[in-house]
Amino acid sequence: MMQFGIFSVGQVSTDPATGRVQSERDKIRMMVRMARRAEEVGLDVFATGEHHNPPFVPSSPTTLLGYIAAQTERLVLSTATTLITTNDPVKIAEDYAMLQHLAEGRVDLMMGRGNTAPVYPWFGKDIRDGLDLAIENYHLLHRLWREDVVDWKGQHRTPLQGFTATPRPLDGVPPFVWHGSIRSPEIAEQAAYYGDGFFHNNIFWPMEHVQRMVGLYRRRYEHYGHGAADQAIVGLGGQVYMRPKAEDAIREFRPYFDTSYVYANGPSLEETMKTTPLTVGTPEQVIERTLGFRDAIGDYQRQLFTLDLGLPEEQVMEQIDILGEEVVPVLRKEFAIGRPAHVPDAPTHGSLLAAAKAAGTEAEKKEEAAR
Amino acid sequence: MTTRSLAVVSAGLREPSSTRMLADRLAQATAEALRERGDEAVVEVVELRVLGHDLVNNLISGFPAGELKGAVEAVSGADGLIAVTPVFQASYSGLFKTFFDVLDKDAIEDTPTLLGATGGTPRHSLAIDFAMRPLFAYLRAATQPTVVYAATEDWGSGELADRIGKAGRELAGTITGRVPAAKPDPFDEPVPFESLLFKE
Repeated sequence: MMQFGIFSVGQVSTDPATGRVQSERDKIRMMVRMARRAEEVGLDVFATGEHHNPPFVPSSPTTLLGYIAAQTERLVLSTATTLITTNDPVKIAEDYAMLQHLAEGRVDLMMGRGNTAPVYPWFGKDIRDGLDLAIENYHLLHRLWREDVVDWKGQHRTPLQGFTATPRPLDGVPPFVWHGSIRSPEIAEQAAYYGDGFFHNNIFWPMEHVQRMVGLYRRRYEHYGHGAADQAIVGLGGQVYMRPKAEDAIREFRPYFDTSYVYANGPSLEETMKTTPLTVGTPEQVIERTLGFRDAIGDYQRQLFTLDLGLPEEQVMEQIDILGEEVVPVLRKEFAIGRPAHVPDAPTHGSLLAAAKAAGTEAEKKEEAAR
Repeated sequence: MTTRSLAVVSAGLREPSSTRMLADRLAQATAEALRERGDEAVVEVVELRVLGHDLVNNLISGFPAGELKGAVEAVSGADGLIAVTPVFQASYSGLFKTFFDVLDKDAIEDTPTLLGATGGTPRHSLAIDFAMRPLFAYLRAATQPTVVYAATEDWGSGELADRIGKAGRELAGTITGRVPAAKPDPFDEPVPFESLLFKE
């Protein structure tokens, strides 16, 4: 099964139509309501960004996700992204293991470097070490979730002697990890090395570029012996705005596009729809475009959409409804057609636990046979 | 006989443009000199004037779209480069700089490059040495010693033609004598993760 969901950077915005400025409280509560609505309409995943500067609100992802966990039952809670560069890996290990217990395993996370240069020193780091931090910190995090007692020494934090991160991961199964990167081959390589997932933001970028990153990850996933290239775990982003009539969608979305902190004063909405995956139109157009992603990068595991680019809450909720009611049911059906049986589903706590148990039984059998 | 690709970047704005005229003559001289050496030149001209909007879009979106994409590829993979700008306010034009701003920083590394500029007065002739050379030094292009500046009054002189011929022969000589440096593609040949993880 493929997973479908939404992700939000959590930006406070000013409505270009009304001039109304959203409060931080509004945006935080809105993110909670978005997640709840996503579950109600049958989506699988909600992922929050992590930012430490205005106009963004989600500086504390596990607080937000813990609160959402208490109000949902099925939704997988994730991040887009968790800052592996400026956060202490010890704290990430503990925060997300804690969240895993509270959410009954409905947790995974996406590592990213994120951040602009000024953010790093707020956390005692330097952006010039960004890649090294992403590599070293994750290596420690990976061990902290898998080894009960860790001795460790690295370049970027104080050494650890006989340290145990608490609580231990739920059922001894660490949360699944995706690595997100737009343009660094080193991060695709990292994801492949560990056999973790690779997520490409996809939005803002031409598909040829996304293909190169995913292609590298898939080849190296096979190289490192985790499975065939088409069994690697891939996720993509997407950005959509939908109305029954395409021209209504374009007309309503344009003011938000034209004042967006990403898109404003650059290529027009029409050009951007041609060169990047942004799709503003009918649900049918979104379905067709999204199915096209598979032609570009192969069968994949997770598709997340971003919807709240400055849009007011009522419109964002409508978009979630359309996704859940009209788009995703068709995508589930269509993506299942022609999907080879050996292509894995998106990993969940349940599937990882079953795999761990199977591996354990296998090891016991071998041991017994040896005796 | 080897085929050599020659990318010609012209930042001229008028029609006809003296910058484009100089660029064409430099390309022609280089192609002739290559022929004398038994090679054939395939010339691709990049007119920056028509790419102005795409260039500004690239600054905002982060990637080249439309015709700019082809232009970036033509220059990035060329065996030789001829780059000609009008002198504006004692330096290369903003349009010229913007094109080189959006290239990957190693796009023209080691590429034999001939610099040219045009201006209304000979007083700006050193703009090539004081403004263009540092830019191409940063990009680690193999900039040729001979550069060509054409002021309005030079167009009637035989000296300009001589200098164009000399510059073309020099560039052709560098192109034919050059073994292109291997540029490993980080997507085709990734750095193995162990060497990232356990580096000292």
